[in-house]
Amino acid sequence: MANGLAGTTLRINLNTGEIKRYPTDEKLMREWFGGRGVIAKILYDEVPRDADPFGPENLFIMSAGVMSGCFIPSGAKIEFGSVSPLTNGHGDSNMGGHLGPALKFAGYDMVIMSGISPKPIYLFIDDDKVELRDASQYWGMGSLECEPKMKKDLGEDFEIATIGPAGENGIRFSCITHDFGRQAGRTGQGAVMGSKKLKAIAVRGTGGIKVHDLQKLTEYVTAIIKRTQTHPNMAPWQKYGTAFFIDWSNKNAVIPVRNFQTTYYENIEGISGEALVEKCLITHKACFGCWMNCGKYTKAVIPGKQAVYLEGPEYETGSLCGSNLGMTDINQVAYLNWLMDNVGMDTMSGGGVVAFAMECFQRGLITTEDLEGHTLNWGSVEDAEHFIDMVVHRRGIGEYFSGGSKRAAEKIGRGSEKFAMQVKGQEISGYDGRYAPGMLLSYMTCDIGAHHNRSWTITVDMAEGRDKIEGRAKVVVYLQHIRPLFDCWCICRLFWGELDIEPEEIVEALNHITGWNIDAAEAFKTSEKIWNLVRCHYLERNKANGRTFDYPPARSWEDKIPTGPSAGKGLSKEQIEAMLDEYYACRGWDNNGNPSREVLHDLKLDFAADNIEKLGLLGKPLPNGIPTVRGERYKPKAF
Amino acid sequence: MTIFLRAGGQLRAMLKPDIDHYTRKVEIDSEQTIGEILTAISLDPAYVALVYVDGKMKDLSFKPSEGQTITLQPPVSGG
Repeated sequence: MANGLAGTTLRINLNTGEIKRYPTDEKLMREWFGGRGVIAKILYDEVPRDADPFGPENLFIMSAGVMSGCFIPSGAKIEFGSVSPLTNGHGDSNMGGHLGPALKFAGYDMVIMSGISPKPIYLFIDDDKVELRDASQYWGMGSLECEPKMKKDLGEDFEIATIGPAGENGIRFSCITHDFGRQAGRTGQGAVMGSKKLKAIAVRGTGGIKVHDLQKLTEYVTAIIKRTQTHPNMAPWQKYGTAFFIDWSNKNAVIPVRNFQTTYYENIEGISGEALVEKCLITHKACFGCWMNCGKYTKAVIPGKQAVYLEGPEYETGSLCGSNLGMTDINQVAYLNWLMDNVGMDTMSGGGVVAFAMECFQRGLITTEDLEGHTLNWGSVEDAEHFIDMVVHRRGIGEYFSGGSKRAAEKIGRGSEKFAMQVKGQEISGYDGRYAPGMLLSYMTCDIGAHHNRSWTITVDMAEGRDKIEGRAKVVVYLQHIRPLFDCWCICRLFWGELDIEPEEIVEALNHITGWNIDAAEAFKTSEKIWNLVRCHYLERNKANGRTFDYPPARSWEDKIPTGPSAGKGLSKEQIEAMLDEYYACRGWDNNGNPSREVLHDLKLDFAADNIEKLGLLGKPLPNGIPTVRGERYKPKAF
Repeated sequence: MTIFLRAGGQLRAMLKPDIDHYTRKVEIDSEQTIGEILTAISLDPAYVALVYVDGKMKDLSFKPSEGQTITLQPPVSGG
């Protein structure tokens, strides 16, 4: 058994119920790093390009990565992947909690599921016992109700991940929930599980994981723990989680307000991190192997409703279901967080879809008649709740929105496409990019549709000047290589990326675990390889030049920010085109946004070059060749 | 009077710690706000997402007391 690996990969045919065990392909894990990387390769190799994301040929993969469950801080993540029903390209999403380590302790690195079960089932893993069990008693339950029920039925030491009614009903932005409040939210992985009639995954593992050099790893971990325990970021994280950032985001006018209509919120105090701690906090919560305990277990109280308990809200939910929906009290935001978690809806896309619908209502594009006699006003929890119910159950106009804001806009028309705040079909994260050009470029070029987690450049935008667009591309490319590495190795970026641990040090931990003896340069190159493979996969499925898909909604250049500290600011279409030009050149792609053969050859992706060439989508040779170094780490200006 | 500023990440480079890896000792006037103190030491307050003192979030108008330790948190993206 290779170091860092559990040793076995499961392949499950959900049509027939057949479960096969294979030794984990160590070479594959080495070349593609596990987690997001190996998922990208398997999806590329095995899912036909015309496969329906909801069909039997789509795969649903869970991968625990080589570092998850090992003797390191925050080695807690698990990665899920499939062809996304939201974006029609590679989709992956991860969660913390305890499921990834449990899967490895049970003896499995990866589970690859194909087909569609004839009836609702859940995957049961108890060390070497692997079964598909009847889930009819759980089907229809909310995620936050289902997990405790399954723990009661199976045992408290089982780690459970579930989908809610949203996933069961094929809502394209459905999530997977685990440990009561951890979600794999983005790209609709919950919907793919639902399409396969897979309600839940239950894992108990009692084994161990062999590492390459336990003594060196122990010394290394001891030193990291000592260093990070006194890190200045630790105490605020522990108290507020990421919710502390709401105030700063507003002060710097990047917070989304009422569907990104503006970027400064007059009611920020009611939904701030301090409000969360004062009004809702019960206690703190952590993932496997982490003492940052950034999770906040909270209670939401809304007049006329029973109190609900949840984990959150963190920044993204706090902004996208807070200021973005016109909410004025943290209890409202927490309640909507709970609601979406329970139905199994990504709170980021969920907040974006509800906000889009609220603006449609504001503009008279949808009416009370469309909403079963209800209104859909900004700041109304009741209105939002009723609308979410319509979407989850695909009633009436809810059907339009079940596919996300892009598809809803295509049905509603009348100019609504302009303010469906998404890229490639996935809703934008909780930062407005009109006066943060690097952030906008990050959304435009993200491989899985708009998402901040691949590249986050707000502070770079501030340091370099928010009116300036030049030079952002190389920073975005660098971040798009380093940040997804956490999703390959299944460790938490909040610990490993935000506490002054250098990339070289993370690679050192990887080497102590695996014995691979790689350096940071190889790590970045592998991440770049994965990025380009995912790009090729997207082109092959969507059969058009990449540039076609890399634009933000027209609000991004047509609507200047109307109010607040950034009033009057915004980018032009020409500036957006120029940013794309710079980005493609930085990547070694042509001006159509298609990877060139030269860069794909450099990344050992000649097979992908051949495939996109057959479709006429291979990037033209670049006149000056490809850059030798693609992406550059940002160094803050000295003061 | 003397106060102590602590910061990690990008802010640490801007802070120029002189007591330990994260901490800088600063002499201030008694009526100075955190915002004014940071400007005086050429650390742009715009890069500070959170001012954390004695377990509580403060804003840049906070006036520290003698011997207090002020933690400065940079902005960080969530998950």
